[in-house]
Amino acid sequence: MATTIAADPATRPPFVKKLARRLEVRMILLAIAIAACLSVLSPYFLTHSNIFNMLDQSVVIGIIAVGMTFVILTGGIDLSVGSVAGLTGIILGLAVQHMPVAPAIAVAVAAGAFIGLLSGLLINVFGLAAFVVTLGVMAIARSLAYIFSGQTAISNIPESMQDIVYTSVLGIPSNVLFLLVLYALAWAYLTYTKGGRTIYAVGSNKEAARAAGLNTLFYSVVPYVLASALSAVAVTFSIAQLLSADPLMGNALELDAIAAVVIGGASLYGGRGSMIGTLIGVFIMVMIRNGLNLMGVSPFWQGTAIGTIIIVALLAERLVSSRVNR
Amino acid sequence: MSLAALDRSPETVVAPLLVMRGITKTFDRTRALQGADFELREGEIHGLLGANGAGKSTLSKVISGHHAFDEGEMVYRGREIRLRGTRDALNIGIAIVMQETSLVPDLTVLENIFLPELGRPGRLNYGALRQRGEEILESLGQQDSLPFDWEVRRLSSAQKQLVEIAKALGVRAKLVIFDEPTASLSPGEVERLFDVMARLRDSGHGLVFVSHRLEEVFAITDRVTVLREGRTVMNARPTADLSQAELIRAMVGSELGAIYARNEETPEIGGAIALEVRHISALPVVRDVSFSVRKGEILGLGGLVGAGRSETAEAIFGLRPRTGGEVLLGGKPLKGNSPKTAIRAGLGFVAEDRRTQNIVPDLSVKENLLIAHLGAHRGFFCGYGARTKRVDELLAKLGLPGDRLLDASMLNFSGGMQQKIIIARWLLLEPSVLILDEPTKGVDIGTRASIYAMLRDIAAEGVAVVVISSDFEELLGLSDRVVVVSDGRSIADLPSAMLDEEKLTLLAAPRTSMARNTALLNDLTREHGGAGFWALIENDSLICLNAVVNDPALDPGFRAGEARRLSETRLPTALARREGTFVAEASGGRTTLVVPMTSPRGHDLGWVGITLREGGTLPAPEAIKTRIDTMAATL
Repeated sequence: MATTIAADPATRPPFVKKLARRLEVRMILLAIAIAACLSVLSPYFLTHSNIFNMLDQSVVIGIIAVGMTFVILTGGIDLSVGSVAGLTGIILGLAVQHMPVAPAIAVAVAAGAFIGLLSGLLINVFGLAAFVVTLGVMAIARSLAYIFSGQTAISNIPESMQDIVYTSVLGIPSNVLFLLVLYALAWAYLTYTKGGRTIYAVGSNKEAARAAGLNTLFYSVVPYVLASALSAVAVTFSIAQLLSADPLMGNALELDAIAAVVIGGASLYGGRGSMIGTLIGVFIMVMIRNGLNLMGVSPFWQGTAIGTIIIVALLAERLVSSRVNR
Repeated sequence: MSLAALDRSPETVVAPLLVMRGITKTFDRTRALQGADFELREGEIHGLLGANGAGKSTLSKVISGHHAFDEGEMVYRGREIRLRGTRDALNIGIAIVMQETSLVPDLTVLENIFLPELGRPGRLNYGALRQRGEEILESLGQQDSLPFDWEVRRLSSAQKQLVEIAKALGVRAKLVIFDEPTASLSPGEVERLFDVMARLRDSGHGLVFVSHRLEEVFAITDRVTVLREGRTVMNARPTADLSQAELIRAMVGSELGAIYARNEETPEIGGAIALEVRHISALPVVRDVSFSVRKGEILGLGGLVGAGRSETAEAIFGLRPRTGGEVLLGGKPLKGNSPKTAIRAGLGFVAEDRRTQNIVPDLSVKENLLIAHLGAHRGFFCGYGARTKRVDELLAKLGLPGDRLLDASMLNFSGGMQQKIIIARWLLLEPSVLILDEPTKGVDIGTRASIYAMLRDIAAEGVAVVVISSDFEELLGLSDRVVVVSDGRSIADLPSAMLDEEKLTLLAAPRTSMARNTALLNDLTREHGGAGFWALIENDSLICLNAVVNDPALDPGFRAGEARRLSETRLPTALARREGTFVAEASGGRTTLVVPMTSPRGHDLGWVGITLREGGTLPAPEAIKTRIDTMAATL
């Protein structure tokens, strides 16, 4: 470790290159490129109603991806969010039979938070692997969803729940507005608060964070609580739209959420990622799926298409980033 | 093979086994090697020297295939080669014995020795392996010293090293690199290692001995190469032609002496006690450590690698659960067992491993600087704003990168710069006590001097500084007082001025070697009554390494770990004369025999003394001397 080549002030990168170094900027460019391709392939793609349709489709996966970003930032993973959405949906469906809508939602969210707390403690206090714990919780939650629901959908949901989705503020549907506000809050939390910075530090180097006096245990558990609670919030929007709670709800949602977070530039090793990136990742996922539907691609082929696009996009990103960061 | 055979003819000059020319190696932005040359012959032990960070470890790892070099030339047995990995190196007979061993702790000794064989297809013949293992140990003169069926985790560090050496011979290595092999060994174990190395040399192996302990280099090497800042500054000079001063000059360049320079006036250390540690333990590693530091004082924690110094610091700081004892900061007991409480009480800790314990790589330099503040901060937001002014002041004072570089990644900076940033992280909180574990590990020599200066300044401002270092020269040069830790116990607390590297090495020896000495003293005092001791004596003062008192009336007036002027002890006459016969004290009542103890290689190991009642029958001094020599041979 002898001499260091000093960073020469004369060779500071030009503005464009500096911008290109920001992952979010590159992801926005990728999103625009995909949108451009799809609008050429399908003239309907860029219409007003399709755009609102896509925003609407972004809500559920978008909310879940917020919690997933927190978990992945700490270097963990949560495979249970889809099943927890299914279970808390059933809990909500059962609860509204006995109480008004607002407390019923509170019960479902609290149930979600409790499940997340259990996973978080098992992972961080007992040192079990996050992958295995959440895999187990995933199986348990789905099975309980079937048992509590009696294997059928609960369809007698009060129609007043639709107000959650079908009111609009300043022309923006309330669920989309909720999504955007949630992202803004999550971004501000991660950027400006002690807790947010601790979450990054935990994912980047837990031991160093602990040695600096940060409460690594608390902030390793919080993301799991948040992820499961937000699963309940997400499924609330689904139920409000469909007026039905199905035990199968949220099936495979965790994979979409993980894909969105990773497309958004987060590292599965933790410490790297951002809310803006995740939001773009969500939009890219929804756009691709929507575009494939518009072009009439068979649902059986869609999985292949989406998988290929994700892998190619990440590969391209890796190549580009190694070039601009040199 | 035919080439090698030719070279054996007596007339020809010994052909070099390995030649490295103009080797360069760059990690990220750090130039670890910038044109290093090295040459090794068969049948020699070649010392590879250099200060911390000179590139000697990097060069060894290039030779052993751990790192690929960027430019240069590597010629092994007359053929130019380029290694793609350690497996390549092992295949052609190059092996390395490293500080951190590459053994598999859960496999047995035998399986570890023949680990490369386990990767081959086909069935293993354990009987044949065992026989080969025995042959290898015999060739090293170490038969029966390794239990083949034990798991490696149960071995001592010296035994693990022997397994590594046997493993190298198991693949028929011709060239063996020893990277700082003595860092965790007691003096006796070092001698045994040197015996093994000498045998390997005599059987035609080429050995590279990486070290920064000069006396060891003179004891064992045939030729020496010195690296400085990644370049070879002294190429393959015969050790016999060199003086210690020449070597030091080559290692540190012209700025010798300036590194540890103190301010002329010795600072007055009369401050209040800032940190007091009373009998803390964190089992199984830390058993019983006590010391205290005053404001403005630099205290060194010395000892061998693995003695429990880092673990002690971690236990004080709350990173490792304490199982007993007390920590007092400014007289108040430190409650709780977490870094957060320690930090809020005014403690700072720079852990040993920068990369894994200090740096948060995904956060910017600025946030790395502020992360201890974040840990101590109460509140929902970060509270960075309140620290802005102090951050600017610190950056200016420490010569750290300005505003512009605060957004950069820590990993873009050299080890020395990273270390300064991490120290600054704690200074920001204005701690009353700062503990630093190996603060100059992986730091180049120029920056080391500025880190020393920085630590002196910190102490001068009234902070109590505790430094842990395995580099005894650094420890003695830097600290006012040294507490020696061995096997998890603090065993001595002495002013640095009384110590030198050799004394420190003896004090730091693990308790296993002390146990043999204690056993001998116990036997002697039981047979004859009285008291016995083992001490280092220089001029008119003494440092006691061990003392056994059987008869309280004959207490010598000092205990293990204590230093005394000879006149202050109860045996002034005998200690001053050291004549090899029993010498009676003027005060009467006791008579003392003091004899020198030397290792079989002639190494001075201090003096052993036995005090008996005057008037009784005295044993023959020669008989006692023989027993001491026998004991010294096994130490």
